[in-house]
Amino acid sequence: MTVLPQLIVSTLLLGGIYALIAVGLTLIFGVMRVVNFAHGEFLMLGMYLALFAFARLHFDPYVTLVLSLPISFAVGWASYRGVMRPIVHASHNVQVFTTVGLSIALQNLALVLWTADARFLRTDYYAVVVRIGGAAFNVAQIVAFALAVALTAGLFAFMRWSYIGKVMRATAQDRDASALMGIDTDRVYAITWAVGIACVGAAGVLLAPIYPVYPTAGLQFVLIAYVAVVLGGLGDMAGALIAALAVAAVEVAGSYTIGTAWKEVLYLLLFIGILVVRPAGLFGQRGAEALGT
Amino acid sequence: MKTAMWTVIVLGIVALALGAGIVQGQQAPTGEYKIGVLEPLTGNLAVQGKLHVEGYEIMRDLINTRFGGVMGKKLVFAVGDAVDPTAAASEATRLAAREGVKIITGTFSSTLCGAASEAAARQNVIYWETSCVDPRMTRRNLKNVFRTEIDGTGFGWYNVEFIAKHLAHRLGKKTSELKIAYLSEDSSYGQSVTESARQRAKQEFGMQEVGPEYYASSTNDLTPVILKLKATNPDILHHIARDPDAILFWRQAREQNFQVKAVVHAGATGYGTPGFGKAFGNDANGPFALLEPGPGFIIEKLRPEGQAVERAFREAVKAKTGSDVLAGGHQLAAGGLWVLKLALDAAKTDDLDKFRPAVLALDLPVGSAVNGWGVKFDETGQNSNARVQHYMLQWQNGSLVTVWPEEFTTHRAKWIPLGPWDQRK
Repeated sequence: MTVLPQLIVSTLLLGGIYALIAVGLTLIFGVMRVVNFAHGEFLMLGMYLALFAFARLHFDPYVTLVLSLPISFAVGWASYRGVMRPIVHASHNVQVFTTVGLSIALQNLALVLWTADARFLRTDYYAVVVRIGGAAFNVAQIVAFALAVALTAGLFAFMRWSYIGKVMRATAQDRDASALMGIDTDRVYAITWAVGIACVGAAGVLLAPIYPVYPTAGLQFVLIAYVAVVLGGLGDMAGALIAALAVAAVEVAGSYTIGTAWKEVLYLLLFIGILVVRPAGLFGQRGAEALGT
Repeated sequence: MKTAMWTVIVLGIVALALGAGIVQGQQAPTGEYKIGVLEPLTGNLAVQGKLHVEGYEIMRDLINTRFGGVMGKKLVFAVGDAVDPTAAASEATRLAAREGVKIITGTFSSTLCGAASEAAARQNVIYWETSCVDPRMTRRNLKNVFRTEIDGTGFGWYNVEFIAKHLAHRLGKKTSELKIAYLSEDSSYGQSVTESARQRAKQEFGMQEVGPEYYASSTNDLTPVILKLKATNPDILHHIARDPDAILFWRQAREQNFQVKAVVHAGATGYGTPGFGKAFGNDANGPFALLEPGPGFIIEKLRPEGQAVERAFREAVKAKTGSDVLAGGHQLAAGGLWVLKLALDAAKTDDLDKFRPAVLALDLPVGSAVNGWGVKFDETGQNSNARVQHYMLQWQNGSLVTVWPEEFTTHRAKWIPLGPWDQRK
């Protein structure tokens, strides 16, 4: 089967993109127990950042990537202070409505500022592909995949071994006990939210040379990222990476063998099937969603 | 002597004024006639919606200042914002009930026109669609609904016309030897264009087909589809796309080195938008998009009455936008409003019982109106495919230029067959 190498490569590269988006989402959920429905819009803002930095300042997207981390972190910090802080202890309903509202507001802000036109960040190397053994690798997608793996590993290490990571995990396990131990939980949430937004902002910058940029661009990725997060186990970063690759594999194989129109059906069937057998996801811990509340 | 001289001057001025009136063929309008204009002015569809309103306004001002208004009255608008189908219905009701309009025109989008036209029907108001291409809109036996633009099936009809009458011989093949691959996003627009093209290609010309393959326009990866297409090796790709998926497909097709002899699209989305050219520059060279006339259009090929209104329209657009290149939204809105003027002038009333027969009786050949259109509505209220002349444009060096029908344009189609990706310069 001569197309098999290409299908495998497509799975890896597409899965890398989903994982890139999913890690920030799972970090926020893992620590704060907040499902961020505005995650796709922060991705979209990252894409626009790369687009305008390229068009107006002639910054290569990989230069913008470095700049995007502090910028996205600051945007995340500000959005936590302005929007999330008052509702972080509220019921899930209030959190859902707030993040959905934030999502709609950001989408419409982008529409007003930049119109609904789909734009494309065309670098000199956008069409450069590496061909190995009958498979074509898009360079920008290879970089996105490599950084997705690196980011997942980095966040995993950060959470496991750094002091702040341990503090974040402690807060995730029991918010009240952490506060009694002297942990400033409000600050932990602010850092968590800002790091999650920095991750997705960086993902947006990496996606800009690959996909068209428009105000609702985030939606097409974030639904799949939600699936990956739940499938991998809420709050589990390695699980999110593996689940993202599994979803991509189902999408690519389904599109090729059955038809592109069926791919959503197929990965959602996988999703339902796994949740029936393992309600907490592939690597999730039972009751994780209620931890720390 | 002095009196005689003044008499000559005054008579001369009167004669000139009358002459001008004869040239314009119209008198200044008296009184006002109000219609409803319903377009999405906020939300995702606002860019095109605003372009349509601008097109209506340009044509309205031309009608009032140079073509005698409608039914001898100055045309004025009451505008509504149709951000989504619910708003389209409620705004159509408001325009009819509160503003008292008897005609509503709009709404350009296939997601809106169904709801707007049904609400108009409930208010017994004429619904005059100028852009939406959903075929179902004129298939509901609503006597108040008319559409000046061709519907999705018309797009398919024209695309196959172009493939059979132009591409086949340029590729050195009989139509029955051509293998067409059908790929489309899965909206009613994409499906109606694709299915009508398939039907005509097979039944009238015996073309062979691959597919069809439908996908959601929000898809993140089209590589598997491209691999399947490569395996079937079609001559022509009939691809109906929205903006993001056209860009994604073109990039990934290049990565996979997918070679096809021609790519044919229809409509002001995907390959038919300026954004596609901006995205790829000269790398966009090659694909065809069925649209209204673009650069290269020979106005002199129209009938005299068509030339007069087309020239006036182009001058007005240039005065407003500073550009010689017309936007599709301007062309569709202005073209549709011009046909409405012709219908109202012929009917002399907006009473549906008299207006409808007058519309169905309009019989103008190709080249009579804006965009080189003709007019002949059928019983469903749909203007005829063959009369609503459409044009094939091709991306050539960063611009969409008119290449077909060749008698209407100075440009010629290039890269047939398309050839390797890096040699389409």
